Amino acid sequence: MGLNISANKVLASIPYLFEGVGITLEITILALLLGTLLGLVLAIIRVYGSGAFRQFAVIYSRLVRSLPLLVILFMLYFLGSEIIDIPAFWAIILALAIHSAAYQSEIFRGAIQSISKGQMEAALALGMSKYQGIFYVILPQALRRAIPYWANEATIVLKDSSLAYALGVTELMRRGEYVSARTSQPLITYIVVGLIYLLLTYVFTKSMARVESKVKIPGLER
Amino acid sequence: MIDHIQYFISIWPELFKGLVVSLELSVGALLLGLVIGLPMALMRTYGKGIVKAFAVGYIELIRGTPMIVQLFLIYYGLPDLGILLDRVPAAIIALGINSSAYQAEYFRGAILSIDEGQGLAAQALGMTKQQAILNIILPQALRLVIPPWSNEVIYMVKYTSVAFLIAVPELMARGKMIISQTFKPLETLFWVGVIYIIVLSIIAKVVDIIEKKLAIPGFQMSGED
Amino acid sequence: MAKPILRVENIHKKFKGTEVLKGLSLTVYEGEVVVIIGPSGTGKSTLLRCINRLTEPDSGDVYLEEQKIEPGKTNLNYIRQQIGMVFQDFNLFNHLTALQNVAIGPIKVKKMDKQKAYELARKELARVGLADKAANYPAELSGGQKQRVAIARALAMDPKIMLFDEPTSALDPELIGEVLEVMKDLANAGMTMVVVSHEMGFAREAADRIVFLENGVVAEMGSPEKIFNNPEKERTREFISKITRLNSVAKDREVL
Repeated sequence: MGLNISANKVLASIPYLFEGVGITLEITILALLLGTLLGLVLAIIRVYGSGAFRQFAVIYSRLVRSLPLLVILFMLYFLGSEIIDIPAFWAIILALAIHSAAYQSEIFRGAIQSISKGQMEAALALGMSKYQGIFYVILPQALRRAIPYWANEATIVLKDSSLAYALGVTELMRRGEYVSARTSQPLITYIVVGLIYLLLTYVFTKSMARVESKVKIPGLER
Repeated sequence: MIDHIQYFISIWPELFKGLVVSLELSVGALLLGLVIGLPMALMRTYGKGIVKAFAVGYIELIRGTPMIVQLFLIYYGLPDLGILLDRVPAAIIALGINSSAYQAEYFRGAILSIDEGQGLAAQALGMTKQQAILNIILPQALRLVIPPWSNEVIYMVKYTSVAFLIAVPELMARGKMIISQTFKPLETLFWVGVIYIIVLSIIAKVVDIIEKKLAIPGFQMSGED
Repeated sequence: MAKPILRVENIHKKFKGTEVLKGLSLTVYEGEVVVIIGPSGTGKSTLLRCINRLTEPDSGDVYLEEQKIEPGKTNLNYIRQQIGMVFQDFNLFNHLTALQNVAIGPIKVKKMDKQKAYELARKELARVGLADKAANYPAELSGGQKQRVAIARALAMDPKIMLFDEPTSALDPELIGEVLEVMKDLANAGMTMVVVSHEMGFAREAADRIVFLENGVVAEMGSPEKIFNNPEKERTREFISKITRLNSVAKDREVL
């Protein structure tokens, strides 16, 4: 009986939680946009670049993948307090982007390297420049191959966006905590919050699978 | 420069204590994850009906939700059911459950990549399905799982930092405590980061060596090379 | 005498300490079909790749229509536009249809109007007998069809010379004929061609000159008549008879 009433209080907060979903999605999408761009550039530099650029991409990936997201997040946040002001909302976006870019650079690098060497040679033999070869021949194939791995990384970014909680950004997780405190029903609240995240990752994974089959090259295995 | 190093020396004892807690959390979570993850993998791969459905549901539920939600459910939520856990056990259980779902998928991937003929050959020798799984499939799968598993080790050490959110005094939390005393956030976080990088590099090296030691010549997971 | 299109002078190339090309020289004249034969590992493919600089030679010069190709000075992309290349394993762009494969060079490299480029691509596909496969992706084509598309792709750039790097050796025996047929048509149409191949039938029928390569240099060359019936060197004779025997064995197996 008592549980029912409190459960209802939690359920009444669902619209409030869903406003948090909006912010969670904003963070996720912006972080993915930046992270994918940076990851792709790093991967291209790593495969086709030379000298210092290539070294930089290698070291970036190795260092960032050894740093917990929270460390990066707080570094950016405190960088804000000490040098330039970075609002919490942007601190989490940048931290996620920097962190994810390292993993994405590995994904894209693997995809690029899985395209047979002959593809680039054929492009060069036609008179294409290296850049034309990369953009018109290698990337269209590599990006298709990267889709399932990228989609997996994207759901990780979505889930990790919950760490914005630590900076007090009122996304889904932080709102969950408010609801939990107000209703004194942490168990039910966090189950509801968890189910919302599950729904988000499920919908995303399903739609990426559809994208993947949509852009599949006819006749080609994988 | 000397100032920085002196600062590091002054905060090192505190950070070291945190590092020890982080490593304890990691080991505990990885073991718990292994103990739950391996059976889940077997249930999902070989199970039927409700057994399989349970494993699929468990794995996808965990993989579809953020670790922090799992942590808060266990630490703040379970008391509603009368289950009260201290911070450290709560963190180990949450991290372990989280890891178990990922480990289960690594094991399943490895099992599936073992050639079907291996199981058939074992059964042709008169082994039962269980015997074939235990004696033929798993010994091979366990070797194949080492590379993805080593990734999971590194992930886990990194993600123990989330336990800081329920005030477990691990490395990240100690760093934050030091910051509130010294008001040197960037410097402190720099050294925290350096410790993570060094520890994870060492772990990566060690795992690499183990991997090479256990390798069967000419035998690796397809797509891993 | 016809004018020289391609001149290779004293090319050297080492791979990991092993010298593959040891001062090789060769001149190819306009409209000529040169077939290069020789034991494996003797630098035939390396020679072709040194011509269009997919492989950088250690020393030696290559001239296209008497213009020296100098890395850093010459625009390599421009040179390569004029040298068509057909690879052993086709290397069709997997993400493009047959038509797009043929059109992409003119569009991206020559900046040709798309409409015109597709028109040209259709024409080239028709020329290799694949007008009806325009909309198919490489993975939907047989090996022989892939290689014919690859030839059309090279032709669409309107090259001055075509290089063929063992164009039929990755093909099932029953698919070799259709590719050789296209190559013969091309030869008859007056295309200047350098072909690395062990198809002796093709060499006998279509070649103006056969070059026998051994140990990184030209060991002997001459008309098919001379090389097949009256070679100067014992090694050439041995090689020809060995290859002919192998080919006939392969054909027997095909009949079985």
